[in-house]
Amino acid sequence: MLARSSVRELRVRPLRTVLTVAGVAVATAMLADMLMLGGGIQRSFGDLLESRGYELRLSPRGTLPFDTEATIQGWGTLRDSVAAVAGVDRVAPVLAMSVGVEVEGGAGDARRTLALGLDAGNRALYGVVEGDGPGAGEVLVDARLADVLGVGAGDRMRLGTASEFGTWGRSASVRVSGTGDFVFATARDMPVALPLHDLQALAGLEDEVSFAMIRVGAGADPEGVRAGIAAVAGRVEVVTLAGISEKLDERLSYFRQVAVILGSVSLFVAALLIGTITAVSVSERLGVIAAVRAIGVPRRRVVGDLAVESVVLAAVGGGIGIGLGVVVAGYLESILAGLPGLPAAVRFFVLEPGSLATAYGLVIASGAVAGLVPAMRATGREVTELLHREEP
Amino acid sequence: MRPSAALLAALTALAAPVEAAAWVGGVGQPRDHGGPDAPRQAPASCPDDLEVLIERPYADRAGIEPGSTVRLRADPEAEPCEALVAGIFEPAADPSELMSTRPRVLFHLPHLQALAGRVGEVDHFTVRLRPGVDPAAAAREMEPLLVGTRVWSAAEVADRASTTFRVVRRFHAAIAGITLVAGGVFLACIMVLKVQERRAAVAAARLAGIPRRILMGWTVAEAALLSALGGVAGLGVGFASSALVNAYYQRAYDTTLVFSIVTREMVAQGLVLAVVLGLGAGLVAGARLFAADPLDQMGR
Repeated sequence: MLARSSVRELRVRPLRTVLTVAGVAVATAMLADMLMLGGGIQRSFGDLLESRGYELRLSPRGTLPFDTEATIQGWGTLRDSVAAVAGVDRVAPVLAMSVGVEVEGGAGDARRTLALGLDAGNRALYGVVEGDGPGAGEVLVDARLADVLGVGAGDRMRLGTASEFGTWGRSASVRVSGTGDFVFATARDMPVALPLHDLQALAGLEDEVSFAMIRVGAGADPEGVRAGIAAVAGRVEVVTLAGISEKLDERLSYFRQVAVILGSVSLFVAALLIGTITAVSVSERLGVIAAVRAIGVPRRRVVGDLAVESVVLAAVGGGIGIGLGVVVAGYLESILAGLPGLPAAVRFFVLEPGSLATAYGLVIASGAVAGLVPAMRATGREVTELLHREEP
Repeated sequence: MRPSAALLAALTALAAPVEAAAWVGGVGQPRDHGGPDAPRQAPASCPDDLEVLIERPYADRAGIEPGSTVRLRADPEAEPCEALVAGIFEPAADPSELMSTRPRVLFHLPHLQALAGRVGEVDHFTVRLRPGVDPAAAAREMEPLLVGTRVWSAAEVADRASTTFRVVRRFHAAIAGITLVAGGVFLACIMVLKVQERRAAVAAARLAGIPRRILMGWTVAEAALLSALGGVAGLGVGFASSALVNAYYQRAYDTTLVFSIVTREMVAQGLVLAVVLGLGAGLVAGARLFAADPLDQMGR
């Protein structure tokens, strides 16, 4: 009877119910977003790294790939040493540097962009959108840059070390082999890819690379291979994908801490709101509670029936809040996408059913607890006291 | 960038816009210091009278003091050079350097160039222009002298360095907006409860002839007062949490950087928003209260 009365209470006071549900929904949305944010970037970045199929990265000591323009010198010798380590299946070097590009026969406006020099056949850092990968004397252009410059497969471009105001250093004429989608490009970068030897020659860095990706053979332990490479290549940093993810997580630990704090506050606010409403609702029904207690209904049953109201509020508000949270996460993601230096493919808010279910479960549980407190207080009193306290 | 001497001369020869030009070297990294197994023979490339300044956080961790001797090398495989620690410096409170994990060491430029085997090279120049000179125009004039390099104005450098903080600021603003919505809804909910509690008293006042306008004013004023009190309490929490944030992060990053600041503008904004939210919540609750007939509210 009390359970029905609790639910009816929500219907007869629509404004109070709507406001409470709205408050719980906003708090749930915030909680869901913070749960998504908490581990989202590490998972997203980890997935992106693993999708490339290379388990180790080798870079100048103290740096991570794409961190700086520092290079590894004496690459030819080092490559042989690394390739000879047991468990190494493939070594894919990359030279990354800033270059100037302009369309031959165009308006003559040089544009700076990131160039990646890669071994023939290494497509780990890009996917071909149109045309083909770059051969000798060719360049693959980021699809967005191709749109900006108005170039396509077969066109010719000038590529080289260039200043902001069109003064060229070393340069070369190259043919556009096609357009591509670059996996690790930031929102601002619109890279180009060309054969490693071509970029080395252009930059005058014949025996240097920025970093290398290393594929571990089937059955080999990446950590063991990492240690083996570190033993023969002391002047470079060798890290596993997990190590890279951890370092990124350290750098972005601020967002994890914010997620914990705001998530906790949101849960507290939801519980406080539900608790307040349930407390008022219970105090308005002291007479009914006294009556059911007087006819012998067990206290546990009365408490359970009274808690129905708070659970219903939490369930409805939480359900709406989960949907709202997904929308708000999209908005917050669009803001954080502007952070410099992060691949555009990396997501801060990863939509996972587990995160949403956890948020929903936490709100319902906290709502139930918040509702139990006033219910237990009310039912813990003597019937005469309840009648005395009832409002006329 | 090479050859730096020629470039510096060329820059200075530009004369008209340039008041001073200086070159800035890279930052070396101490690999180890002291210890009984220290090599006794220094390589030929070690500069004479090598002196360095070490940043305070690293010096504290490593137990380095002015007068200590440290061993430095530009490459892990190179022979180290012994250097005298001339002093300890407190790094500038620069948020863009916050996540830097490598300790900072200051050298005389020729010493670092010799140590790194990069005599005649620099990483970048800083140039001070004469008053009134347009930085963009000066950059256009300078860049042809520096093929393969780029000239940035101080404003451009600041703009690029602060991108992260602009994004984080927008993120904070969005979170603050959501918090405001939640606070407003909460307040409206509380005010609805309060007016429902006293509907009989208000109905009696209406029946006694007290104008609705006055009763509505009381309701709205009460909501605004309640909200303002909540705002003041919230500011107290804000000041306390700001102090906690600064204490925690300054300790965590061993820096003098101030992470959280509560300004007068923020205090004023917070209070104004609280009062506005209170007025809105009071109007919602009051409208609900006065929509019903007073006799119904008294249970007649």
